[in-house]
Amino acid sequence: MIGQLVYFLRRALRNMLYSPVLSAASIFTVGVALALLAFFAIAVLNVQRLTANWAAELAVVAYLEQPPDGTVLNRWLNEIRAYPEVAEVTYVSRQEAYQRFKKRLGNDADLLEGLGADVLPASLEIRLRPEQRENTAAVVERLSRNKALGELHYGQEWLERFEAFLLLLRTIGAALGGFLVLAALVIVANTIKLTLYARQDELEAMTMVGATALFIKLPYLIEGALQGLFGGIVALLVSFVAFRVVLRESLGNILLLTGIDTIQFLPLAWQGLLVAAGALVGLLGSLLALRKFVRFCQD
Amino acid sequence: MIQLFNVTKAFQRDQNALSDVTLRVAKGEFVYLTGPSGAGKSTLLKLICCAERPTRGQILMDGRNITQLGIRYIPHLRRNLGIVFQDFKLLNRRTVFENVAFPLEVQGRRRIEISKKVYNVLRQVGLEHRLSHHPLQLSGGEQQRVAVARALVVDPLVLLADEPTGNLDPDVTTDIMELFKGANARGTTVVMATHDRSLIRQFPRRVISLEAGRVAGDTPP
Repeated sequence: MIGQLVYFLRRALRNMLYSPVLSAASIFTVGVALALLAFFAIAVLNVQRLTANWAAELAVVAYLEQPPDGTVLNRWLNEIRAYPEVAEVTYVSRQEAYQRFKKRLGNDADLLEGLGADVLPASLEIRLRPEQRENTAAVVERLSRNKALGELHYGQEWLERFEAFLLLLRTIGAALGGFLVLAALVIVANTIKLTLYARQDELEAMTMVGATALFIKLPYLIEGALQGLFGGIVALLVSFVAFRVVLRESLGNILLLTGIDTIQFLPLAWQGLLVAAGALVGLLGSLLALRKFVRFCQD
Repeated sequence: MIQLFNVTKAFQRDQNALSDVTLRVAKGEFVYLTGPSGAGKSTLLKLICCAERPTRGQILMDGRNITQLGIRYIPHLRRNLGIVFQDFKLLNRRTVFENVAFPLEVQGRRRIEISKKVYNVLRQVGLEHRLSHHPLQLSGGEQQRVAVARALVVDPLVLLADEPTGNLDPDVTTDIMELFKGANARGTTVVMATHDRSLIRQFPRRVISLEAGRVAGDTPP
């Protein structure tokens, strides 16, 4: 069994060496198609991380016109904590808000000189449970019944826009990637078909000495799968180099502003998936080519 | 060994390549199929190796009806046949050794057995010193000897040869015929299509003559 497999593998590799230009063309096409898919995957992955970060930090902030006294504050806190959507409620006093703002300004903190702590309002920061995020509007509506809470701010709308952008990115990636993968599939199929036409005499001789259709086809299937596999590896290398040289920098510039500290390359499982996808494209391509040769091989 | 009953083969309507052919070739026999071009010699050989199906009639090989043999059984039938073509049909990218070894690889034989058998058969055809050459590095006669070696390496029950000496000079033709005679002497049934009358006179055997797709004569040696 293993001997047979080695035999077919050797024949497939030898076939590839006999037509190096055609094989290189197939590998290159699969490589380019999958590398483009990988670029989109990297972008989607990092934007997804960003929205996950935002979602975790998403809070409803209620600005208080007048800081309440201790008893009222405690009542509000207990009331809000009892909401099923709420994970945590924090009271930020005017003093604390002033200190935070000062810290955020950093070197420009002297801008606040002469202003007192009472320039900023006190607030309640209400963090929702991640799974309750879509109920933000309901929580806001309930909070707005308490007129003393004043203005209510929340980033839900931004997050939704960002998620729509993510969906768009995914859709474009899938459409473009799908189109390119299809093109790669056709090119692999044509490469194998050209090889088959070039070796028609050989195939005929094989059938005449009693080779079964599978015996004839298997090396070509392996050849297609190997071309796809090598294409997948090329895609991985190209996307890694592009990530190091271009993507990390440019994506970083966009995303670092938004709070993500590092831009990530594809995780190991996705890398494996990319290479496996290459092998699958190659295998399907050669299956497509061999379909038309079935009759010839069996007669 | 081979029996044909009222076999007709039509490639086009009203144009039969073979018409109502009935014949019997016994085990271990050596038979020439002769006749002018288009008489149906090659078609008959193709029917015997299931490269074509008869339009009508039945064909039996070693007692088994192969007329309606399922596609997946055809390779197994061909493993008991040796086939030699006028244009050799060698695999030009492979060495002489690999060409001759190929039918055994197809049968899944072990490497050690393959090496032994291939070397023996190449010695038999006098090409053991050429085993690492490629077909295009050999003369026409040598290439045909490789093709004969490839046909004989599987110890076939039947050897089918379609004008095997058509492109060869008389000396080489004699060499090839000696190889066929040797295989026949070891028990292989040989069916050889040729239109070379002088060859038949030189190596007299039973002759089945075809004309316009019909058996026109059957002459014993």
